[in-house]
Amino acid sequence: MYTVRTDMSAVAESSSLGIPVEMAGIDSELKKLWSQSAESMTRASLINLAVYSQEPASLQTNTQLIGRITENHACRAIVIAANCGAEKSRVQAWISAHCHVVGTSQQICSEQLSFLLEGDCANLLPGIVFSHLDSDLPLYLWWQNEFKDPMDPQLWAWVDRLIYDSQMWKDFDTQLRLVETAECEAKQRIILCDLNWTRLDKVRQAVAQFFDHPKSHRHFASMENVTIDYGAGHRSTALLLVGWLGAQLEWQLKQDTEAGKIAFLDTNGRNIQIDLHERGSNPVGKVLLHSGETEFGVAHAKCGDLLEVWRSNKNEKQFSQMMPAQRNDAVSLMSQELMRGGLHRVYLRAINCVRHLN
Amino acid sequence: MNRVADQPNVNPLREGLSTRAVPQPCNVVIFGATGDLTHRKLIPALYNLAADGELPPAVTVVAFARRDKTDEGFRKELEESTRKFSRQKVRSEIWKTFAESIFYHRSEFEDESGYESLATRLDKIDKERGTRGNRLFYFAAAPDRFEPILKNLRTAGLNNAPKGSWARVIVEKPFGTDLASARELNRIVRSSFTEEQTYRIDHFLGKETAQNILVLRFANAIFSPIWNAHYIDHVQITAAETLGVEARGGYYDGTGALRDMVQNHLLQLLCLIAMEPPTDLSANSIRDEKVKVVRSLRRMTAGEVGEKVVRGQYSDGAINGKPVVAYRSEERVDPNSMTETFVALRLNIDNWRWADVPIYMMVGKRLPKSATEISIHFKKAPAVLFNKEFTARDQNVLVVRIQPDEGIALRIQAKLPGTSFRIEPVKMDFHYGTSFGKASPEAYERLLLDAMSGDATLFARSDEVEEAWAFIDPIEKAWTAENDRPGLFFYPAGSWGPEEAEDLLDRDGRNWRRL
Repeated sequence: MYTVRTDMSAVAESSSLGIPVEMAGIDSELKKLWSQSAESMTRASLINLAVYSQEPASLQTNTQLIGRITENHACRAIVIAANCGAEKSRVQAWISAHCHVVGTSQQICSEQLSFLLEGDCANLLPGIVFSHLDSDLPLYLWWQNEFKDPMDPQLWAWVDRLIYDSQMWKDFDTQLRLVETAECEAKQRIILCDLNWTRLDKVRQAVAQFFDHPKSHRHFASMENVTIDYGAGHRSTALLLVGWLGAQLEWQLKQDTEAGKIAFLDTNGRNIQIDLHERGSNPVGKVLLHSGETEFGVAHAKCGDLLEVWRSNKNEKQFSQMMPAQRNDAVSLMSQELMRGGLHRVYLRAINCVRHLN
Repeated sequence: MNRVADQPNVNPLREGLSTRAVPQPCNVVIFGATGDLTHRKLIPALYNLAADGELPPAVTVVAFARRDKTDEGFRKELEESTRKFSRQKVRSEIWKTFAESIFYHRSEFEDESGYESLATRLDKIDKERGTRGNRLFYFAAAPDRFEPILKNLRTAGLNNAPKGSWARVIVEKPFGTDLASARELNRIVRSSFTEEQTYRIDHFLGKETAQNILVLRFANAIFSPIWNAHYIDHVQITAAETLGVEARGGYYDGTGALRDMVQNHLLQLLCLIAMEPPTDLSANSIRDEKVKVVRSLRRMTAGEVGEKVVRGQYSDGAINGKPVVAYRSEERVDPNSMTETFVALRLNIDNWRWADVPIYMMVGKRLPKSATEISIHFKKAPAVLFNKEFTARDQNVLVVRIQPDEGIALRIQAKLPGTSFRIEPVKMDFHYGTSFGKASPEAYERLLLDAMSGDATLFARSDEVEEAWAFIDPIEKAWTAENDRPGLFFYPAGSWGPEEAEDLLDRDGRNWRRL
C-alpha cells in the first residue's frame, strides 16, 4: 500500500494503515513491499520514530500525522496504539509507506509499521519497539499520554529522545517526577523534548533578539514586570516562558507573594512582577517586558502565523517588524522539534525554575 | 550557575536557541545597489532571512547608487525582483515591514558630499531604528570603483564605528586579476578597513556541502587515518557548466576560466579537502590551515604549464539538443579571442600529507552537464585474490557533490549474486534533498548572516587570495608569453572539453571521472 502524495492538499485523506500483516512476517512483507516498488521510489530514513498512544483510534490520526511529518523528516515510523482495557489480548500489525514526490518524478518514501495492542499485550511495548528498529538509527519516542508508574526501565535505556507535551499534564509535579525517573533509568542519556517548550521557540527567539546587542543588556537590570497573555489551557506554556526568563536571567522565585501572584527577585534583590492573563486563543498571545520606560513587545499578528515585535520608549519612534510564529498543530511542533537536535539544558533549567507553580 | 549569563556581552536569552553566532542589528549599505547582484541575490537573501526570523528586525538596507530614484520607487523594483528570485514565496505582510527598512541614497561614487549625507542619514537611522551604529558596507560595484568609495568612506569617517559598534566591508570577487592587482586592491581596502573588518565573499563557501566537507573530515573518525598519500591515489575537482557566458561576455573575455573559477572557487574547495585539522573552529584557525595548502601548491615553471595545464575554448555545438554558438560568436566577445572557457590542470601539494598525490581540476563552460563535484580516488586494493584484473572502476571513490543535488557517495566493490565470483562496483549514496526535507538556505543568506555576526570563517583572507594568485600568475604568464606559448584547444560545445584534457590524465594512467 503506497500513500503517494504530490502536494499538501492530498495529505489529510491518507489515514489508511496499509497492509495487515502477521507479527512474524513483518520483515518479509516489508521486503516484498520494496521489491514491488517503482524504480523512482527511494526508501529514506534518518531516525526511528515510535509513536505511542493509549487511544485505540489514534492509529488513523497518527498515520495522517506521520504522513505529513515524513514530508520533511524521513524516518521509520512505528505507530502503536494500546487498548489496555480490552478483555482479549491480541496484537494486530500493518505496514505502509508514505511517499512524497521530490522534483519532477523521484519519490522519497518512509515506511510505517502500525500496531494495535489489546489487553495485556500493552505490556509488549518495549519488545515491539526493539524488534522493529531500523538498525543504527536513533530512536525517538513520542509519548502521547500521561506517564504512568511504574516506568519500564528497559524501554528508557533504548530511547535517545523522549518527546511529550507537558501542556496536557494534569498533575505536573507527578508527571515531571516520572519523566525524571525515565531519565534516571536511561542514565541521563535520554534527551527530554517537551512540545510545550517547542511551542515557545519562536516567541523566545522574538524576545531574545531585543537583547542581542550588548548595550541592551542594561535593561535586564531594570526589568520591572512581565505580562503574558495565554490561551485557554496554556497556563503551563506561559509558566514555562516565565521559567525561561527566570532561569536565564538568574531570577529567584519570591516565596512570600500573595496567593495566585508570581514575583521574582533579580540578582540585586529587585522585585519583578509577573502577570499572567488568560486571553485570546494562541498558546502565548502576547508578551510585554517593561524595563524602565522601555517596553519590549511580542504579539501574534492579526494574520495568525506571524509575530509582531516592537520596542517602544517615549524618546524613540516605534517600529514594528514581523517574525515567523510557531504554529500550534502537532505536525508543525513535531517538525520543529525534529529539526532542533542538541541537548535541552535550558529547558531543564526553565522547568525547574517554575515546577512548583504548576 | 548559568554559564552564558556569566559571559559579558553574551545575551543569556540566546542560549540554546541558536548554535551560530547571533547577527547584530546593523545598516547594510550596498554600493552599486541598482545592479543585478542586489536584485537577484542580496535583497532576496535578506528577505528570506527576515521571513525565516533569522534577521534582526532592526536591520536596515541603504542602497547607494547613481541613478535618480525614490525610496518608494526602489522598494517597488526590489519587490518585483524579489518575487521573481526569492527561494520562498514572498508574503506581502512580511515584505511590507521589510521594505520599510530599505532606503535609497542617490550619489555618485566620487562625490564626497554624498558620503557626508550618507553618514548623517545612517546616524539618523541608528537613532530611529536601533541599528546601534553598526555598518556593513557591501561592495557590489565594479572593482575599479572601490578606490573612490573607500577613500570617501574614510573621509566621511564611516570606516570607523563608534565605540561598542562595528563597521565591516564585504568585497565581491574578483579580488584582483593577478598578484600585483590583488595586492593593490588589498592595499586600497586596508587604507580604510583593517583585515578584521574585511570580508571577501566567495559564494561557493556558503554552500551547504562545501561547509559539510569539514564536518565529513573532522567529525568522522573513519576518514582521518586514510586521508593522506598512503591511501589516496588522486583527487579530482570538477566544475562543469552547460551555460555559456550569457550576458557576461565583456567581463568574461577579459578574465577567462582560470581567473574566474580556479583562482577562487576551486582552490577554496581544494583547501577544504586538503587542509590539516584546525586547532579550533575560529575563523583564523581555519583560514591559517587553508592558506598553508595554497602556499604548498607547487608553482609551475613556464615550461611545465604546457605539460600540466590544458586550456580550451568552445566552438559551435549543441547543449541538450539545441545548437549553440561558438564562444567567439558570443555577444561582447572578441571574434579572435584567446580567452579560455575550459581549463584542466594537474597540480601537486608539496607537504607531508599530500606528497605525490596529484590533484586534477577541470572547469569549463558549455560542457554536457552542470555539476560541481570533488572525488577522492583511493588506491586500489592489492592485486591478489579478487583484484587480479584491475580496472579503474575497482578503486574506492568518495564523491562530494557540491551542486546540484548536494550529497556524498562512496563507491565500493560488491559480489554479484550468483554462484560465480563476479565483482562489480556499487554506490552508497547520500542525498541532502532526500534525507533532509528542509531546503538549504542560499549561499548569500548564510554569508550575509555571518558577516553581520562577525564570523569570517567562510570568507577569504588577504593572504589566501594573494597566495592563490601567486600560484595562478605563472600559468597566465605562460599563456600570454611571446614565445613558446602553450596552445588553446577548441572543443565542441556539449563535449567534455578538448582531447588534450583526456591526455593529461591518460599520461598518468588515469581517467576523468564521468559525471
